[in-house]
Amino acid sequence: MKPDPSKLRQQTREHEEHALHQAQQKQTALEFAAAEEMIRHDAAHTPVPPQIAERLNESLAREPKPAVSWWRRLFSRGQ
Amino acid sequence: MASPVASKEFVDTTDASQEKPVEHEPVQAGRARDRNEAQGAPDRPLIWISTEFGAIYEAHAQSIYYLALRLLGDPTQAEDATHDVFLKAYRKMNQFRGDSAVRTWLYRIAINHCRNLLQTWHHRHMVTNADDAIWETSSVATDNPLRVLETKELGQRIQKTLEALPEEYRLLLLLVADEKLSYQDVAALTGQTADAVRGKLHRARKAFAAAFAKFA
Repeated sequence: MKPDPSKLRQQTREHEEHALHQAQQKQTALEFAAAEEMIRHDAAHTPVPPQIAERLNESLAREPKPAVSWWRRLFSRGQ
Repeated sequence: MASPVASKEFVDTTDASQEKPVEHEPVQAGRARDRNEAQGAPDRPLIWISTEFGAIYEAHAQSIYYLALRLLGDPTQAEDATHDVFLKAYRKMNQFRGDSAVRTWLYRIAINHCRNLLQTWHHRHMVTNADDAIWETSSVATDNPLRVLETKELGQRIQKTLEALPEEYRLLLLLVADEKLSYQDVAALTGQTADAVRGKLHRARKAFAAAFAKFA
């Protein structure tokens, strides 16, 4: 007897959905010995939003140039 | 070769009560503009990035942003705070004398800035009043490794955990997590001795482990 093609398609789809569900449930386990180690990992994976540099760019353009300290003026004169 | 400024030291003269407020656009306007810029190219090139100050920003922005993010608990506020911290640093660059490292100096500005923000009405009503005793008498063993399954949820869980801790522990853990800071640096930033930092760190780890388990 020939299998019903629609039933076969249904089974295949169920199979794929099950495999996908399993893949989604498969998670990466991370283990840390101490709180600061975990925080360090989190910090390393937290990028700085590029908007901050853009905003600083605008803010610095409005700022007067910072005064140069006496010792830096002194050193630059010697060079 | 490293920037000469980045390797030299600044004196921290930042006093939260005497700081000139950072004047910037109203927050809403700034955010609207940020959204526009995020969609396209910036209006003007980041010329300052190639300067001494730019080198300082490149070297320390990530740490300052992360500290602000975890102290304030809000990415938008952390963004504003990081901007303000670096703007204050830019304005105070002439006070460079050499009692502390640039990183420590920036951390001090950031801590003062975040504390000021946390003292506002809004934050006073949002901060949880965690009792030290709850965590210190917890039965959770601290020698067990901290496990997390969902990598993407790690940040949220760390945030919840830190918010449940007393401010002193939260700051201590965040500073000790920065490998570029010594115990002496952390002690200077938190106004205590290095020995006191080591002692409190043990209790802070225990409190973190207990709170972290609670938010599983």
